[in-house]
Amino acid sequence: MRTLYVEGGSVLHRLSARVKLIGLFLLSLLVFATHSPVLLGIVAVTCAAVYLSLNIGWRQSWLRIRVFSLTIVVVALFTLVLESPAAALETFFRLSAMMLAAAAVTATTTTGDFIDQITAAAWPLERIGLVKAADIGLGVGLVIRFVPEVVMRYQAIRDAHYARGLKMNVISTAVPLIILTLRNADEIAAAIDARSIRGQK
Amino acid sequence: MSTRDLVLAALFAAIIVALGMLPPIMLGFIPVPITAQSLGVMLAGVVLGARRGVTAVLLVLVLAAIGLPVLSGGRGGLAVFMAPTTGYLIGWVLGALVTGYVSQTMVSRDQSGLAQGASFFIAALLGGVVAVYGLGVTYLAFVTGMGFLKAFVGSLAFIPGDVLKALIAALAGRAVMVGYPLLPQRA
Repeated sequence: MRTLYVEGGSVLHRLSARVKLIGLFLLSLLVFATHSPVLLGIVAVTCAAVYLSLNIGWRQSWLRIRVFSLTIVVVALFTLVLESPAAALETFFRLSAMMLAAAAVTATTTTGDFIDQITAAAWPLERIGLVKAADIGLGVGLVIRFVPEVVMRYQAIRDAHYARGLKMNVISTAVPLIILTLRNADEIAAAIDARSIRGQK
Repeated sequence: MSTRDLVLAALFAAIIVALGMLPPIMLGFIPVPITAQSLGVMLAGVVLGARRGVTAVLLVLVLAAIGLPVLSGGRGGLAVFMAPTTGYLIGWVLGALVTGYVSQTMVSRDQSGLAQGASFFIAALLGGVVAVYGLGVTYLAFVTGMGFLKAFVGSLAFIPGDVLKALIAALAGRAVMVGYPLLPQRA
């Protein structure tokens, strides 16, 4: 799995992850408080300029936002038909600005920085005993570690179907996939505890 | 949360991510493509119960937020949480919670297979359809200002697919419970 982070030396790259996340949050509040299509248009164009200035490459830049653009266009068309052109424009610029700003933050922040921010944000929850902040990083690491294994098991189950001349179906694929994967939980948990990664209780 | 519970949640999150990598299927009688990922959310609740199921879904969302393309169609990054359809993702958390909670309270090991399957179906339907669409449609209506009813009509085409997924989740959930029971049971 490749992350969506892109190496670079732009101002956004150098800003701290916390500043970027707070900025993104403030921007989302701002665009919802504004109702002027002109003002929102200026914000959206600015966000687009920032996003394009990150040197992701035209093709990559488009691929990353393609799915979201489609949703936004559909919603804008929906608004155009049901409301007014001004409302459609307003919706289009507002949603585009948010999407582009978010894509820019994603492209300029490493996963490690993000996890540090999440761990820091979870600290109050740890104080009241709801979660262990360090578990978030551990959980994320475990998922990344096991996705390729799940995909491998899926392929093995598919081959087993072919070998027996069976057609794939959701139940006969999902059930063995789930059982085979979850059956390892005890061993993995024992390995984690043996290394005292979560601290001894 | 014990280490085993955390590992189970993480493994299930990996399954949900892997399901998102499968190409969407077109079914003849439904006009929209169906992805397996939201099936994974229902399965998380049905197989693991509320607490671990929610943890699994939250892990997937954290991975998406930190910039990994883990959602179906290779989506990821913060843009996912700034889109008109973000409510459905937040709905996944509530969906796994409801599915898991209803499964835990309704299903017990000494019921007949039919009763177990029916209970799982109700659980997946309440969590994976009612809860997910409740949040998703409300958010869509709020963000776009199109009003609740119009947002609901716009989402209508996806509901048959999700009802079908609830049925699959019920069948798979029961099969997993027979083969490798993990669902927390009431004493």
